[in-house]
Amino acid sequence: MAATTEQQKQAGHPGEPRPGRPRRRGRIATAAGVVGELLITAGVVLALFVAYSLWWTNVLADREAGRRGAEVRDRWAGGPGPLDTGKGIGFLHVPAMEESEILVTKGTSAKALNAGVAGYYTDPVKAAMPWKEKGNFSLAAHRDGHGAKFHNIHKVRNGDPVVFETRDTWYVYKVFASLPETSKYNVEVLADVPKGSGKKEPGRYLTLTTCTPIFTSDYRYIVWAELERTEKVDAERTPPAELR
Amino acid sequence: MYGWIWRHLPGNTWVRALVSLVLSLAIVFVLFQYVFPWAEPLLPFGDVTVDNGGGSR
Repeated sequence: MAATTEQQKQAGHPGEPRPGRPRRRGRIATAAGVVGELLITAGVVLALFVAYSLWWTNVLADREAGRRGAEVRDRWAGGPGPLDTGKGIGFLHVPAMEESEILVTKGTSAKALNAGVAGYYTDPVKAAMPWKEKGNFSLAAHRDGHGAKFHNIHKVRNGDPVVFETRDTWYVYKVFASLPETSKYNVEVLADVPKGSGKKEPGRYLTLTTCTPIFTSDYRYIVWAELERTEKVDAERTPPAELR
Repeated sequence: MYGWIWRHLPGNTWVRALVSLVLSLAIVFVLFQYVFPWAEPLLPFGDVTVDNGGGSR
């Protein structure tokens, strides 16, 4: 303040009221305005990113999964051709997750899972198909965004049914253990006899993996189920009692 | 910044408002179509698998 007043005195233009100050203040105000606008813009972009992650990717993924699921059902309904694991080997039904059927396809890469499907592991531990005599059918899917197919995995309790539907068989599993939080490096959960599940003998197991807590990927959430029985698919595709 | 853009848009207020709307929608489109899909894998929100961390095990 004092310096400015002195400058004005030195400048000595009595006709122009305070020539230096408004311009300098204007420059600072302009700079502050630009910074403020940039900050608002950054906020809007971040909000848009949240909308993209939690809403738009779901729209795209559900559309893609619906299209592929319809293709698989079409082929089952009588279309010829070999089993194309890339397009889908069957549908997972988990009533406790309040999600409609989930298409299961090969692989757990980001690209595969972003199509709104559950992928069976090919790496680091290869999943055993449900029709195999022994082994672990291990699956992964997104918790949020990209269809968020395993969003409600925390609602799955011991004893809940998990049903896998193929062209000719219903595989009815029963959940016997879960691991609400484990390291992302814990690949033993995918073993044929999954470590941490409490099982010691080889059997026909199913493992669901996704990320936890919700909206982050700090840890992994694991749910294990064991095959209880299989049912042949009839002409009407009547679902097993667990899905009715 | 936005004031400067506004002053440099052609036409009257309505035309400017329309052009602004179109520009904003174009930016949202570019973000959703190109920028966010590129940025998403770089952020640690969507990793759902267990793995051995690139063979360190």
